[in-house]
Amino acid sequence: MIKTENLIKTVSTSEGELQILQPTNFSVEEGQSIAIVGSSGSGKSTLLGLLAGLDTASSGEIWLDGAPLHALDEEARAQLRGEKVGFIFQSFMLVPSLTALENIMLPAEITGLSNPKIRALEVLKQVGVAHRAGHYPNQLSGGEQQRVAIARAFITQPKILFADEPTGNLDAKNSDNVESLLFELNKQSNTTLVLVTHDPELALKCDRQLSMNAGVLEEVTV
Amino acid sequence: MSAMPRQLAWRLFKHEAKRGELSIILFAIILSVASVLSLSLFSERLQGALTDRSAEFIAADRQLSARTPIDPEWVMSAQTFNLATAQQTSTRSMAFANDELALVDLRAVSGDYPLKGTIKLAPELFATGVETTQIPALGEAWIDSRLFQLLGVSLGDSIELGEAQFTITKILSEIPDGGFSVFNADPMVLINLADIDATRVTGPGSRVNYKVYFTGSESDLDDYFDVLSPQLDRQVHRWLSVQDDTSPIGESVARAEQFFLLASLLAIILAAVAIGVAAQRYAQRHFDPVAIMKTLGASTSTIRKVYLYQIGFIALLGIVIGAIVGFVLQQLVVSALAGTVEVSLQIWYWRPLLIAIFTGSVCALLFCLYPLLGLFSIPPLRVLRRDIASSFTSRGGQYLTAGGAILLLMWVYSQNLKISLILFVSGLILVGLLLASTLGLIVLGRILGSGRMGAWQLAWARIKRRSLDNSVQLISFALTIMLLLVVLVMRNDIVQQWRDQLPQGTANYFLTNVTEEQRPSLIQHFSDNGIETDGLFPVSRGRFVKINDEILRHDITKEKEDTTNETRRGMGREANLTWDTQLQMGNEVIAGKWHGDWSLENSDLPPGVYPVSIEERVGERMRIGMGDKLTFNIGSEIVTVEVTSIRTVNWQTMQPNFFFVLHPMAMEAFRASYITSFYLPPERKPELTRLMAPFASVTMFDVDARINQVRSIIEQVSAAIEFILILVLVAGSLVLVAQVQASMDERQRELAILRTLGAKGSMIRASVIYEFLIIGSVAGLMAALANEVSLYLLQTQIFQMQSSLHIEYWLIAPLTGAVVVGLLGATSCWRLLSMNTQVLLSKML
Repeated sequence: MIKTENLIKTVSTSEGELQILQPTNFSVEEGQSIAIVGSSGSGKSTLLGLLAGLDTASSGEIWLDGAPLHALDEEARAQLRGEKVGFIFQSFMLVPSLTALENIMLPAEITGLSNPKIRALEVLKQVGVAHRAGHYPNQLSGGEQQRVAIARAFITQPKILFADEPTGNLDAKNSDNVESLLFELNKQSNTTLVLVTHDPELALKCDRQLSMNAGVLEEVTV
Repeated sequence: MSAMPRQLAWRLFKHEAKRGELSIILFAIILSVASVLSLSLFSERLQGALTDRSAEFIAADRQLSARTPIDPEWVMSAQTFNLATAQQTSTRSMAFANDELALVDLRAVSGDYPLKGTIKLAPELFATGVETTQIPALGEAWIDSRLFQLLGVSLGDSIELGEAQFTITKILSEIPDGGFSVFNADPMVLINLADIDATRVTGPGSRVNYKVYFTGSESDLDDYFDVLSPQLDRQVHRWLSVQDDTSPIGESVARAEQFFLLASLLAIILAAVAIGVAAQRYAQRHFDPVAIMKTLGASTSTIRKVYLYQIGFIALLGIVIGAIVGFVLQQLVVSALAGTVEVSLQIWYWRPLLIAIFTGSVCALLFCLYPLLGLFSIPPLRVLRRDIASSFTSRGGQYLTAGGAILLLMWVYSQNLKISLILFVSGLILVGLLLASTLGLIVLGRILGSGRMGAWQLAWARIKRRSLDNSVQLISFALTIMLLLVVLVMRNDIVQQWRDQLPQGTANYFLTNVTEEQRPSLIQHFSDNGIETDGLFPVSRGRFVKINDEILRHDITKEKEDTTNETRRGMGREANLTWDTQLQMGNEVIAGKWHGDWSLENSDLPPGVYPVSIEERVGERMRIGMGDKLTFNIGSEIVTVEVTSIRTVNWQTMQPNFFFVLHPMAMEAFRASYITSFYLPPERKPELTRLMAPFASVTMFDVDARINQVRSIIEQVSAAIEFILILVLVAGSLVLVAQVQASMDERQRELAILRTLGAKGSMIRASVIYEFLIIGSVAGLMAALANEVSLYLLQTQIFQMQSSLHIEYWLIAPLTGAVVVGLLGATSCWRLLSMNTQVLLSKML
C-alpha cells in the first residue's frame, strides 16, 4: 500500500544543507498498522508529511496504493489525498467556524461524495458524539474534538489513515477511548494505518513499530 | 462538485457572521460604503442647492448671450427640450428727464425674467431691496436710486429713453444678473422687452447685447446645447453656465466642491486602509482552515472559489448595510442642519450610490486580493508544522497593490490626476518616514527594553519584537491621523481665508468720479462723520490704441472690430488706468520687478516710455507679456508704457483693484478722478443721502447687498464643511478602533500566556497602554510631518491658497495620537483581561 525508495529530505540552513531524513526504504502492506516512534525532532513528522504528500522529498520515490506520489504535482497529490487518505492530528485541526457535523462533511464534500450529510451523521453516531452535531469545536472537550476528527477521517472510507500523535493532547481516560475507537474503526474498514507517536504503549497496539532516530528509520523488533 | 465551493463558502460565511468573526471586515466595508455614500449624497444635495443659488447670479441655469439678435427658432426649439426660457436685450443709452441727461444701462426683459433669483425694488432711495415677481408694465420704467439723483426725478415723472417716453414707477434695487463693476456700471433702467423697439436704440451701430435664459434638467440642458452648439458662432455667441461664474461666490463654491471631493477621497482611503487591515487579519485567521482543506484533498481552485465567494458575500452584505447606513446618516445630518444649511429637496441621486457600490466592491476585491493570495498559497504541511506561514509574503508587493488600488480609486473618482497624485505621493513619503522611524524605534527598543522586566520594558520589548507588524500598524495609524489632520486643517484654513476676505467692516460702498478738488473736502467730511475711507486711487480711462506695433481698431464698423479683436479677447476698447508707486494690498508681483523705485535716471526703457504693471489674467487673455509696449489714448494725448511687471490680484477682496497700474510719471499731465470705498454700518444707512449731499457729482455704489449675499453663502458652505469634517472624523475614529481591535487580536495569545504565567493584570494593562501610547505618539508625529507636505502641495497646487506651517499640530497630533490610540488600546485590553484565563486560552483555538 505504501512503499518508499531511497527517500531523502534535506533542508537549507544558515550552515548549509542539512539532511533531516536519511535514505529511507520501507513498505507497508494493505490493512497493516505501523507506528513510527522517536523523540522530538527525530524526523517523524517530516516522514509523515512526505508519506501523506503534504511535503515533497528532495529525492527518492514514494508509492501510495500504486500511485507515484513523487511524480505528482500539488493538485494531483491533493486529489489523491482526498480519495485515499484520512488524517488525524494531535491538535485536532477542526475548522473553528464549522460545526462538528459540518467538519465531518467537509472531506466528503471536497471529494464530491453523495449525501455527505447522511454519511456524516452516520459516522458521527459511530464515534459517539451525535448529540454534539451542532456544536462548534471550541464548545467541545478535547476528547470530543478528537472523536469528531476521527469521524472526519473515516467518512471518505480512506485506504490509508495517517495519525500524528492522536492522543498527545488528551488525558489518560480520553486517550484510551480515542485509541480504542481508532483501532476499532481501522479494523472495520481494513484501513492501512500509519501512526506517529511518543507513546510506546500506543505503538505496541500496531502491527509493526518503526523507530526514527536523527533521520534514520529502523524496524523495531519486539 | 461545482456547487460545493459556493455551499461551503455560504456555510462558513453564515457561521462566521453569526459568531461575529466577520465583524471587522464587514464593518470596514460598511464604513467605506456608508461614508462614501453619505458624503457624496450630502455634497451632491448641497451642491444642488449651491448651484441653484449660484444660478441666481446668471438668472438661469444657462445663458446664451450674443451681439446680434438671437434666432427665435432657437428659443422655440428650447421649449421642445422642456426648457423654460426668458429674454433680455440690453444696451447703453442716454436717458433724458428734467433737461438732464445721463448714460444708462438699459435692460429690456421678457415676462418670465428672471428664471432664477428675483428682481428687487427699493421702497425708497438707496433702501434695502424687496423681492418682486413682476416686471415693468408696458410704458413703465424702473430706475436705479442713483439715476433719481442724477436726473433729479421722482416716482411718477417721465423719462425719455431713445425715442420713447416712459413713466418712472419703481425704484430698482437689483436684478440677479446685474453684474458688479464699479467702473463701467451706469445706473440701470429696466423696461418691458415689448417696449424696446419703440425706443429705436437697438439700431445699426449701437452695441446691443441679446440674452436668452434657460432653465431645465441638466440632461435636457446638455441635450439642447448639443443640438445648438454647431449653430453657434463663437465670435458672436457666448454660452454661460453657473460653473463659468468667476465671482467671489463662484470661486467659493468651486473651492467648497474641491473640499468635498478631497474629503470623499480621504474617506475612501480611510475605508481602504480599514479593509486592508481587516483583510490581513481575516486571511491570517484562515491559514489553518485552508491548510486543513488542502490536506483533505481540496484543490487550489476549490479553495480559491470558496474564499472568493465568501468575500463576495461579505462585500454584498457590507454594501447593502453600508448603503442603508449611509443614507440614514446623511438624512440625519440634513435634518440636523435644517434651517442652517440649505440642501436640495431631491433626496436621492444615483451617482453617489453607484460610486459607493463601486468603491465598496473595488475596496473589497483589491484590498482583500493580496491577503487572499497569501491565503491560497498556504501549504498543507501547516497541519503538521504550525510555524509554516504563507509562501506569498512580499510586503512590497502588497503595498504596491494596495497603493495602486488607492491611486486608481482616487483617480477614477476625482477624475483629477493631480489631486490624486498629490495625496498619493505624500502618502508614500509618510510610509517612507514611518519605515525609517520604525527602525529607529527598534534600536531604541533594544536600549529601553533591557533591564528587569516591568510594564515599561515589556512594552518596549514587544515593540522591538513585533517591529514588522508594528511598522504596518504605525503606518495605518499615521495614515489615518494624517488624513484626519489634512481634512481638519484644510477646513480651518478654507473657512478662515473666506472669513478673512470679508471681515466685519469690509467696505460696502464705493465712490467714483471724485475730482482732484473734491478729494480733501471729501476725506475731511467723511472723517468728521466718523467714517474712514480706504484710500483714494486715481483713475483715468484710456483707450487702447496699440499693443506693440499692432494697431487695435475699434471704430468704423462693428464687424471689423470683431475680426481685429479675435485673438485678443477679454478687454473692451477702454481700460481703467491707475498709477502708484505702492503695490496695492492683495497684489503680488509674479514676473518682472515692481516699478516702485523706477525713475527717469535709472530707467532702461526707451525715452518717453513708462513702466506698467499688468494683472496676470488680463495679460493671458490679451496675450500681453513682459516687455510688450501698450499705447493708450487718454483725452487727446498718447501714452506709451512697457510691461515691466505682472501681478496676481486677489479679486475676492471687496476693494478697488486694477488691471493696469502705471508709474505716476506717465500720468503727470492728466487730470484724474478718484475712486474709494468705505464701510458704513447698516444702522447708519439712513444717513447716506445726507452724507453724500455735498458731493452730488460723485457716483456711489451700494455693494452691501452683494456682500451680505456672499457672506451668507460662505457661512452656509462653512457649516456644511463643518459637518463633512465631523463625518470624516467619525469615519477616521472608527478606522482607528478597527485597527486597535485587529492589533489586540494579535496580542491576545501573548496576553493569555502572560496571564497564565501569573503576570498581574495591572502590569499587563500598563504594558499594553504604554505600547499604544508610544505607537500613537510616534504615528501622530509622523502624521503631523506628512500633513505639512500634503497640505503644502494641496494648498498651492489645487486650492490656490496661501500655505503656511501648522506648528501647533506638531504637538497636538502626537498628543492626541497617544491619548486616543492609548485609550482604545486600554479599552480593548480591559475587555480581554476581564475574561478568565481559561476563556482567553480557548479563544486562541
